[in-house]
Amino acid sequence: MSLLLWLAALPCLVWTQGVDGAPSLKAAGIERVCVPSDQAPAWRQAGLTAVPMGEADLTLREAAAAPGIRARADRASATRSPWINANGWRFLRAPAGLYLYDLPAGKAALAAAEAYAYGVDAALKIEPADVESLGRMLGFLAALPSPATALPDVADFAVVDDASATMGEVLNLFVRRNLLFRIVPAESTQFRLSVRLGSPEYPQTAAADPGALALKVRRALGDEARSLRIFGSEVVIARLLADGTHARVHLLNYGGRDLEGVRVRIRGSYPAGVASVAGQGQMALDEHVVADGATEFTVPRLGAYGVVDLPAPK
Amino acid sequence: MDRRAFVRLLAAAPLASSLKDTPAPPVGAASPEPGLPPEPLPKLRIVSPYAGVAAPGMPGPWPGRVVAVKSDRCVDTVTSAADDAVVREMMARGMCALTGEKTPLAAWRRFIEPSDHVGIKVNCGGHPWCVSAYEIVAEIVRQTGAVGVPPTQVYVYERFQNQLDEVNYAPRLPEGVQIVAAETANRHADNRGYDPATYVEADLFGEEDTRSNMMRLCSQRLTKIINVPNMKDHGATGATGCLKNIAYGSFSNVARTHHHGKSHTYSFVGTLASVEPLRSRTVLQIMDGLRGVWHGGPFARTRRYVFYPKQILFGTDPVAIDRLLLDIIDDKRKAEGAISIYDRSPKYLKTDNGPARDADPNVNIIIREPGHVEYAARLGLGVADKAKIKVEDVRV
Repeated sequence: MSLLLWLAALPCLVWTQGVDGAPSLKAAGIERVCVPSDQAPAWRQAGLTAVPMGEADLTLREAAAAPGIRARADRASATRSPWINANGWRFLRAPAGLYLYDLPAGKAALAAAEAYAYGVDAALKIEPADVESLGRMLGFLAALPSPATALPDVADFAVVDDASATMGEVLNLFVRRNLLFRIVPAESTQFRLSVRLGSPEYPQTAAADPGALALKVRRALGDEARSLRIFGSEVVIARLLADGTHARVHLLNYGGRDLEGVRVRIRGSYPAGVASVAGQGQMALDEHVVADGATEFTVPRLGAYGVVDLPAPK
Repeated sequence: MDRRAFVRLLAAAPLASSLKDTPAPPVGAASPEPGLPPEPLPKLRIVSPYAGVAAPGMPGPWPGRVVAVKSDRCVDTVTSAADDAVVREMMARGMCALTGEKTPLAAWRRFIEPSDHVGIKVNCGGHPWCVSAYEIVAEIVRQTGAVGVPPTQVYVYERFQNQLDEVNYAPRLPEGVQIVAAETANRHADNRGYDPATYVEADLFGEEDTRSNMMRLCSQRLTKIINVPNMKDHGATGATGCLKNIAYGSFSNVARTHHHGKSHTYSFVGTLASVEPLRSRTVLQIMDGLRGVWHGGPFARTRRYVFYPKQILFGTDPVAIDRLLLDIIDDKRKAEGAISIYDRSPKYLKTDNGPARDADPNVNIIIREPGHVEYAARLGLGVADKAKIKVEDVRV
């Protein structure tokens, strides 16, 4: 992704109420709105960046799920491995897609962070009560240091995506379990493991239980060999980007409450970096350790979203 | 006091120091013994920068030795209130009997020095009916004070602050005693109280967080730990006593070991207890059996399954005490017409159905693993062979 695209990835608030609300939006820190085409000039006059977006435009966008956790007694324990609604798989599958979140109260900030973390073009319909929290998150995202160059995703294995709904759920489980993959057109020797449904190792029937399939892949990779691990939570999904110059870790906390002391392990020997955490600002990483070919550190506190930037590996 | 003390030798065999030659448990191999988990044990990896010591606190100087102090007057079974004076007498007699010292002060000096930072691992999970008794905890604090440890160097600890708040030891303790928890509640959200360098790693059910970290308090502050468990049934381990209280009460992320009817507690409990420096620093076991729970444990939200063993067990060997506890719980269950803690029959299993378990003592929600006590013995934490456990009964 180019730097320009990265910067343009800040999600846009869909606002159908009149321009009278412009002062309150500006006060909340929201500077860009998606509004009906005929209202765009008035919004611009009110000092906001207005993106024309009518109902027809909205219907062309792919729906993104409201991010968060929910109890599903048949699928996951409420306390140990909560069911996570996340869109990372969708965004990785179609990074150039146009997305629309239609969000219940309390989800706007996490949704904005999620869209930003994956660098997608997303529009957000929110509950008016969330304007302030969304404004704070957008302000945080806008202030994040820009990477000097666009960083590629780090991937531990390849996936041949057949574009099916079944594979979509498999990708979803990969993302939710922090299994880093790259979608490729055909099985790749660049990776030591490739997943293609229908192959002898991964028959179509295996996709009937995507959780079990994800676990099979994880165990085939081996936890020690994985590029990224998260400790101290079951509700944090991370995205790792890195090149030879530095690494960036996006940390999305779907749990709905702040986490204390999230431990991150990354393959490679990185010097100590810095965390930028929504609602907290910049903070030093704690207990940075490099050993056994991996770097570990603790993010002291994580709200809905945080970014860790690590300098070039030693 | 009407003192009747006698030694009951449970077997003619000498108290063997058999631990040295105990082979390492068969990690990853199926156990050949009946009643034990049929599947391969999970691979557990201990990571700790702390070296062991020549004479670790567990099993301590008296492997296989237990002092059982009993009194009919220690607790009022109508009100469930303990008698402070009787409990203090039980504590004094138990400590003297265990150590062979003539005075409680001399007995406590065998374990504690004035410079120590002393942790008291309480159990608050059975609130409101069965927690580490105020009277016992207060007496421990009083005696450590007599030894010369300032109150500010005494830490009453649990994992969860909300449980400590419910039990509220502070009004019963001298000013300055520290009440410490690692997490605000059991939400797997607060990790700052845990040591990132000291943990047991295991992938048990495919969980993402595969580490259970030791409390920083244990690894970085305390020099001695006194373990004060209760006598309770436990749905995943069969019973919860010394081993589980010190292990699951000092490490993070342990609820993951029992899930959807299956329990990995068989090997996990003892393994956690064996991690340094916890193993070295836990020097004394005082099992509070004033009250007990014979079903539905470790909780005691109602009195339905509460009973009154009216005793306190003393020792340095957590395995020996827990081996006795298994019988105490199982005998009580049999007396109540409930299935044995060793029963692995699926016909009694109602997975994840807590209300059914609470309503019927013949319902399990997980296959219990009382074999965790024997496994801990194989790790060298104590003596599980009942024939080699020597119990001294003291009547107050």
